[in-house]
Amino acid sequence: MSTVQTRVDPVTAAVIAGALDSIAVEMGHKLARMAYSSIIRESEDFGCVLCDADGRQLCESSQSTPLQSGPIPGYIAGINRRFAELNHEWKPGDVVIHNHSYYGASHQPDVGFVVPVFYGNELVGFSATTAHHLDLGALTPGSCGIVDATDAYAEGLQFNAIKIEEEGRKNEFIWQILRDNCRAPHLVVGDMEAQVVACKIGAVRFVELIERYGIETVKNASEDLMDYAERMLRREIEQLPDGTYEAEGYLDGFVDHPDPAYKNLKIKVAVTVEGSEITVDLTGTAPQVDLPINMPFVGTVDIAIWVTLRSILLDAWTHDPVPTNSGLFRAISIVAPEGCIANPTFPAPTIARFCGGNIIADTLMRALAPILPERVGAGVGNLKVVAYSGFSGGQHWVYMDIQEGSYGGRFGKDGLDAVDTLYANTRNNPIEDIESHFPLRVTQYELLEDRGGPGRWRGGLGTTREIEFLDDAGYSLEGDGSVTAPPGLFGGAEGTPGAVLLNRGTDGELELPSKFPYRKAAAGDRLCLISPCGGGYGDPLERDPEAVQEDLNDGYVSQTSARTHYRLEDNE
Amino acid sequence: MRVVGVDIGGTFTDFMLYDTESGAVHVHKVPSTPREPERAMVSGLVELCAGAGLAASDVTGVFHGTTVATNAVLEHEGAVAGMITTRGFRDIVHIGRHQRPLHYSVMQDIPWQAQPFVQRRHRKVVTERIVPPTGEVLTPLDEDEVRAAARELHEEGVEAVAVCFLFSYLNPEHERRAAAIVREEMPDAFVTTSADIFPQFREFERFTTATMSAFVGPKTGNYLDRLATALKGEGVQGELHVMMSSGGVASVRTAAERPVTLLLSGPAAGILGGQWAGALAGRRRLITFDMGGTSADIGIVTEDGVSEASARDTWVGGYPLLVPMLDVHAIGAGGGSIAYVDEGGAFRVGPRSAGAAPGPAAYGEGGQEPTITDAHVVLGRIDPDRFLGGRMKLHRDAAIAVVEKLADQLGLGLLETAEGILTIANSNMARAIRSRTIEKGHDPREFALVAFGGAGPLHAADVADALEIPEVLVPPHPGITSAGGLLTSDLKYDQMRTVFQLQGSIDVDRLNHELEGLEAELRSWLAGDDVPGEDVEVIRALDCRYAGQGYELRVTLADGPFTEEALEQFHVLHEREYGSAYGDPIEIVNARVTAIGRRPTFDSLPVASGRLEEALVGENEGVFRVDGKLQALPTRFYDRSLLPLDETLAGPAVVFHLDTTTVVPPGWNVKADASGNLILTKGGAS
Repeated sequence: MSTVQTRVDPVTAAVIAGALDSIAVEMGHKLARMAYSSIIRESEDFGCVLCDADGRQLCESSQSTPLQSGPIPGYIAGINRRFAELNHEWKPGDVVIHNHSYYGASHQPDVGFVVPVFYGNELVGFSATTAHHLDLGALTPGSCGIVDATDAYAEGLQFNAIKIEEEGRKNEFIWQILRDNCRAPHLVVGDMEAQVVACKIGAVRFVELIERYGIETVKNASEDLMDYAERMLRREIEQLPDGTYEAEGYLDGFVDHPDPAYKNLKIKVAVTVEGSEITVDLTGTAPQVDLPINMPFVGTVDIAIWVTLRSILLDAWTHDPVPTNSGLFRAISIVAPEGCIANPTFPAPTIARFCGGNIIADTLMRALAPILPERVGAGVGNLKVVAYSGFSGGQHWVYMDIQEGSYGGRFGKDGLDAVDTLYANTRNNPIEDIESHFPLRVTQYELLEDRGGPGRWRGGLGTTREIEFLDDAGYSLEGDGSVTAPPGLFGGAEGTPGAVLLNRGTDGELELPSKFPYRKAAAGDRLCLISPCGGGYGDPLERDPEAVQEDLNDGYVSQTSARTHYRLEDNE
Repeated sequence: MRVVGVDIGGTFTDFMLYDTESGAVHVHKVPSTPREPERAMVSGLVELCAGAGLAASDVTGVFHGTTVATNAVLEHEGAVAGMITTRGFRDIVHIGRHQRPLHYSVMQDIPWQAQPFVQRRHRKVVTERIVPPTGEVLTPLDEDEVRAAARELHEEGVEAVAVCFLFSYLNPEHERRAAAIVREEMPDAFVTTSADIFPQFREFERFTTATMSAFVGPKTGNYLDRLATALKGEGVQGELHVMMSSGGVASVRTAAERPVTLLLSGPAAGILGGQWAGALAGRRRLITFDMGGTSADIGIVTEDGVSEASARDTWVGGYPLLVPMLDVHAIGAGGGSIAYVDEGGAFRVGPRSAGAAPGPAAYGEGGQEPTITDAHVVLGRIDPDRFLGGRMKLHRDAAIAVVEKLADQLGLGLLETAEGILTIANSNMARAIRSRTIEKGHDPREFALVAFGGAGPLHAADVADALEIPEVLVPPHPGITSAGGLLTSDLKYDQMRTVFQLQGSIDVDRLNHELEGLEAELRSWLAGDDVPGEDVEVIRALDCRYAGQGYELRVTLADGPFTEEALEQFHVLHEREYGSAYGDPIEIVNARVTAIGRRPTFDSLPVASGRLEEALVGENEGVFRVDGKLQALPTRFYDRSLLPLDETLAGPAVVFHLDTTTVVPPGWNVKADASGNLILTKGGAS
């Protein structure tokens, strides 16, 4: 091994790396514990990051979800761009609120708070948090399933680099705008206050770190850490054969839309490996639409690609932990033509961009399959997010429920069942929490049976999740995967698409599309979500018969499947 | 009374005997017998008694820290377990919280999917449903279905059953009735219910706790039975008690019913041992630091007792566990932790360990990678001739060779590399302490660090330096402090129930009724353990949060019935924990009662001492960093057992104990205290 040139000695670098991580962990800990809404405190849909003065990420909270922490450098770059346009600058004591999707925000509900860190008079970094907020005053309650927003303005309040605290003075009027314009303001504002507290503790700790080691040492160690992460990824890329590798994936889009341009939208991925560099080119991806499944290029598309590449190339299951910082992505370039759904132009709406990003991630993984067959999986089942809401006792209630997907079969292993997927990693909300706080009753939450794609390693199973309304209320949904099944890999069969059913098993049963805007519900209505299930990996006939028998014993496959897909002899 | 504490670890089984009448203390250490841990325990106990001039029948009580349940979980070797759960919810324990344990991994396994405690084939559903907010029965329990499910489980060879119904924390009747039916159908099976362990909300975590209990139940119960029988066979008179993760001891009967309460039995004993050693010296604010061969356990003690883990931060082997536990923060740093340079050029120490075999290179048993122990040997802080009281000869050349190899990779000198290994390990440990002190509003400068275990006293002063902790205590018998901890713990039982009550509309009568019910239950357990009523102390508390939050803080209640004024304290707690308090309404989540059966305390130790000239056993060069530079300094070696009392000696010095080594760096002083502790303090030469 050759000795690597570094700016600080390896011992100091290790100590500072650990200290940075523990600051981010403390920020996440405080945010999760102080937050009010279940989307943050139970689902952990938030991010906490420290950046250097150039807005480059140095560390992240292990508790946060990748799709929240990853975009933070983009938020800071967006704020800096806006500040430059308006001749504003960072001052000690500022707190900035930001959620503009065309200035680096991941999408409008993911509101960033950023505190500049000053050491003496020098701006030395940023302490930032992002979190998904329940409601920011869009046209219908909740912040998901606003799938009929026709432009960015219809998505609710937009904050573009707004100082909500200026040089230590809290701007009460902005907080009042928030309280006046959000449904469930108590929860939304409580969550935002928790974000501000977390940012401020991060800033204090960052200054303490500098006081202890000196500003030059911290800067040099930061550069070393970014170089280190870069080196780790490049080493892996170098081992791949040069060439271009392609795959396609499809987004359901708006299944019930009369215009075919809104349905079965193509995601095209071409990955070019050259030496230690990777370029991901999305040319050929469907043109943008005037409904909100467009994906911000910065904040969604880039994160989907970065997270997927590092999860494959530096898989934490098989590799030593690598710090997540901006150095990690230096070897990756991303191309997407302006005007496609992966690089929309303002004011195209983007609020429901989540599922598309998952398909970019999944398609990218499939493009790499020929050169990394032992490190990728078959097609992944996508997610669904429902906004349940109602108005009772003079107050709105809003609850966001995330239904998981599933992974495809992997080399040597079946797909993961019932998990959040790829570039996100939230948590579900306990049934005992939901029913204790909202007029809802969960009537089924179980694994699906016999729907994983057959393969030598079987596709993972998603869930059936059914919720009954106990009062008249409303709901909206954004999801995907009801049309195209997660593809199989290397001879594995495809998995199964998902579905959405209202009042399943009754005369009035109604199949709904995978995205729909706000609908009214009557007490007694039941909304049933079926996850798509992952694709199979490898020829099912090569599956270990014992594994098929075990699956049969556990009800993961049926007797019929065991016979038809796996040719298991009936031994009953 | 003559009581014995026995801590069974992976390598050694440690004993401490205390004679309450004479005040005599005897210690003993024998190799563990991991296949049948009771063998080492019983034979060691007999040897211990013989050494003390006693018969086993003179022993009136045995207090035990065990890893039997822990190993069953970590090695995934337990019972064939089954589960009966609410129809529609068969897979709660498989779906979990739908979060992947690792953010950045395609190939990962999820513990509860890859290695479930209950396989899906043994998860049966039955018709029943209880609903919030009061636990009303929406759908009655179908008893015929329960009976049919139990028969199926029996036929399938299931040995242990967890009954897990939604909302059972509000109303346990369905679970209890179903459990009774299962016991009728499966009289030999271990049967538990999710609400009987700890009735708290969050179904995945509660059900997982119950299935884990079923999984480890038969094995733990059998072990405790065998042990009790073997002790009786030797004529031991008193009851056997077992340390729980909560830091209390339980009778064998209670422990066997709730085996998941034993998963941190050993580490909890360690923290109590540290607390006890600190108390001997009159110190009440302590950071306990128990470092062995593979890991280091950290605990916090204040005037309010040992810090407990928040119910949402308790995990064992990657599985969540909803039981009261001391806040033991374990990190992968021990004497055997391996130092290496990773592929990107970063210098790392641990968590991979050389273990006991081959062990550090200095052991001369084939270890090829540099460990923390090797670094100490290179720097002259461990004397190769005096390791484990001279029982094991170390190989300095082998240690130098492996550290040299690492030094070449790093482009550093030999000594810089060795010292770097210790600096990185110490900073990892300091960070762990920081997360439990500074981040929780405790100032480490107001604490003493109690260092024990085979490696703790080697690192303590440097770790203390990193956090400006002014004082380090090294307990008497630092290698068997946990056994001492076992002797100091009270009988302690916890019970709780989720109540969900909102300030402004609190049903005070119902809440008081719940608290009284919990207290009565625990008092009956202690009565069953023959604890006289006057020795019972009861603590009542409420887990509270601002309505809408998801994490609770514990408000301890004054004696007497609950009144709403008690909630004011919550704002103060919130301010201390997070730096701000709000005017929002407070939600009471859990009512919680702890009942303690006091046991006689053991507050002084006979202390051996000698003369300084006898204690000084040698002098050699030790390498330390002073003012940023590495320097080889003349370092005095002392024998712990011969140190005179209250004589302050300046570092650099190394003190040899029978089973560990204390390093006193330059700038630190050490003295042997009348309490039996070594006390290290920071300061100039005296």
